[in-house]
Amino acid sequence: MDGRTPEQFAVLQLSGCAGCEVALLNAGDWLDERELVYMPLVISAYDVPPVDTLLVSGGIRTDEDLHNLRRAVQQAGRVVAVGTCAISGGVASLGNRHEVREMFLAQAERRHVPRLLPKCRPIDSAVEVDLYLPGCPPTPELFMAVLREDSDFEASRTVCQECGRKKLRDMKPSHLVGFQSGEVLPDICLINQGYLCVGSSTRGGCRALCTRPGHPCVGCRGPSDVFIEKESEAWLSSIKRVFGGLTDIPEEELDQALRSPQLALFLFQFSDYARRDVEAENRPLRPKEKVL
Amino acid sequence: MPTLTFPLSRIEGHARVVIEVHGGEVVSAHFEAMEIRGFRYFVQGVPAEQMPVIVPRICGVCSTAHHVASVEALEDAYNVTPPPLGHTIRELLLLGQIIQNQATSVFLFTMPDRLGTPSLFKALEGASSEQDRAVLATRALKVRKVGTDLISLTGGQFIHPVKATVGGVTSGVAPEPASDMRQQILDALPVACELFDRYWETSFALRDRIGTWGDDGPAHYITATGDTRPNYDGQPGKDVICVLSPEGVACESFAARDFRDILTFEETDYSYAGRTSYDGEVMRANSLARINMTRSLGTPRADEYLSRFQETFGQPAHAILLFDLCRGIELVYALERAMEILEEPLDDEETAVSHTPQDGEGFGLVEAPRGPLIHHYRIEDGLIADAEFIIPTIHNNLAIERALRVAARRYITPERIDMELERAVGRVVRAFDPCIACATH
Repeated sequence: MDGRTPEQFAVLQLSGCAGCEVALLNAGDWLDERELVYMPLVISAYDVPPVDTLLVSGGIRTDEDLHNLRRAVQQAGRVVAVGTCAISGGVASLGNRHEVREMFLAQAERRHVPRLLPKCRPIDSAVEVDLYLPGCPPTPELFMAVLREDSDFEASRTVCQECGRKKLRDMKPSHLVGFQSGEVLPDICLINQGYLCVGSSTRGGCRALCTRPGHPCVGCRGPSDVFIEKESEAWLSSIKRVFGGLTDIPEEELDQALRSPQLALFLFQFSDYARRDVEAENRPLRPKEKVL
Repeated sequence: MPTLTFPLSRIEGHARVVIEVHGGEVVSAHFEAMEIRGFRYFVQGVPAEQMPVIVPRICGVCSTAHHVASVEALEDAYNVTPPPLGHTIRELLLLGQIIQNQATSVFLFTMPDRLGTPSLFKALEGASSEQDRAVLATRALKVRKVGTDLISLTGGQFIHPVKATVGGVTSGVAPEPASDMRQQILDALPVACELFDRYWETSFALRDRIGTWGDDGPAHYITATGDTRPNYDGQPGKDVICVLSPEGVACESFAARDFRDILTFEETDYSYAGRTSYDGEVMRANSLARINMTRSLGTPRADEYLSRFQETFGQPAHAILLFDLCRGIELVYALERAMEILEEPLDDEETAVSHTPQDGEGFGLVEAPRGPLIHHYRIEDGLIADAEFIIPTIHNNLAIERALRVAARRYITPERIDMELERAVGRVVRAFDPCIACATH
């Protein structure tokens, strides 16, 4: 610090898991560069004060989430949607499926607590967002790039390019075996080993932190720039093309697996970026310039 | 009838305390969890094998415990036993979680109460202490980061781990990163001890200010760790949960699958979190429960703190603010124990065995930072037909409310309400380190 007042930022947590907040605490570098003025997880304060940057994590699940969000954005110079829940509803949007919703809303009924809204919604369905930071959660490096407004920050285009596992043309599994075979081979592409990995379509910047130690990418960073403004058919067929070159897995098996809830967690929000009218929520397009 | 509402901060998640007063008498004190996402409902129909990736998202603070409990529930259902090295890596992973969580709770959540500041990231009163605070925050984050880095090393992803899989873990730890990690812990241990010493001292000052260590009476205690060398990753098949009587006698020991026979679960209309009791009595889980059942921890620095604790406060100890000190002791233990394990070879044997998924029922049990965590799945046609998550925080909910009533009666009289009550409410709740995202899920 050189005597200037450091930029101030606040963190508003809606319904989520606090994983984004924990990730931010791991990025301790901001301690010397920025001033954190509001974050109920670590600061006792009642209201969001005026700030340069407001980071919002979590989805809109209750009427209180909506109220807090609308009030907080009035205090902020720029609003950043942080993490998959704030951007697409995240894991909680699995609860938006019709049959789950009925059971859930009926059984969760209470008298004295904030009321649950019919669905878990992303924050840009209610307020204007200046920047999207996807990831479940985003890495400390990505948080720092946002806080520093670092225009030099460079992520690879896809997770696949950051992974570094070797793709083999002569190791073609005929089925998705997952973890049933025991140990994962080091250095060899997970697709060659029969794992359902979608790192070839997923936005880079996480440094492939799941695939390198041996877990297939589930797509938490959302679509790469190539796919961000395209409909689902584009990335679905791209994933299938990659599998076609590296495996002999039947297309029906792949199709079914790509629709599983684990991937639906993240993958089926890929196309939300390009759609203005998602389940009548009328949220804005998310151009790639606004996504880190 | 006046109602006092206290929003809570420096805990995980959204909760508040509501105290009802009638004619100067405290009628009730409610601990209200105000959020829910519905995991129990929306995991129905999910392919069982995908649970270990989905359930860490219940909570970004306790994700590691959910990840491992989930894998162990599936192993129970599939009848798979991971190889010894698989267990060892999981133990390291859970130690990383203990380090990260206890450092967070001790330094970021409750240290500000000792220093009289709203946050470790805010300036203290008076210019001379500003630098002091910055140093404290930097050092606290350094200790905490050791836990995070250990989770990354053994769990892959740093918040929602991915490396534990049915049958073991996806890979071991190579000698070089193991040695680097060990060195990092070696450097952090004296920092952690210094911070904790200061915390211990300032806790005594706090005791003088509020009269006792938080009033309240004795309680039953519940934990899944043994009486020495606590292993947070209970071995499948040998997992037991123990209940200790208020007098310190082990009065119950049961397997995760029998929890419904031993514990009573109920819901309320003012909170999205339920609560449990034992034989109609209030229970406590978390650090004090574990330390009350521990004879020795088995590592040198931690055992020094443990004897000092037991000589000063007795065993079992009951005052609620002692939960906070116990977390510090466990932080030191986890740092020391992780160093011991990192000295062993961690990549010379198989880390996973193959398995065949099958339908049935499975129970996974780990001792999470907040107490025993059970995942219970029923699997039909490879899909989750039903899932239950028995969250440690719900074992503490009755105890939290009892302690809040005691605090409220101390500060509310027919004549006046002492506004020290607001700080007392915060201290009482934080002593239990509740996790709302988990408790409601």
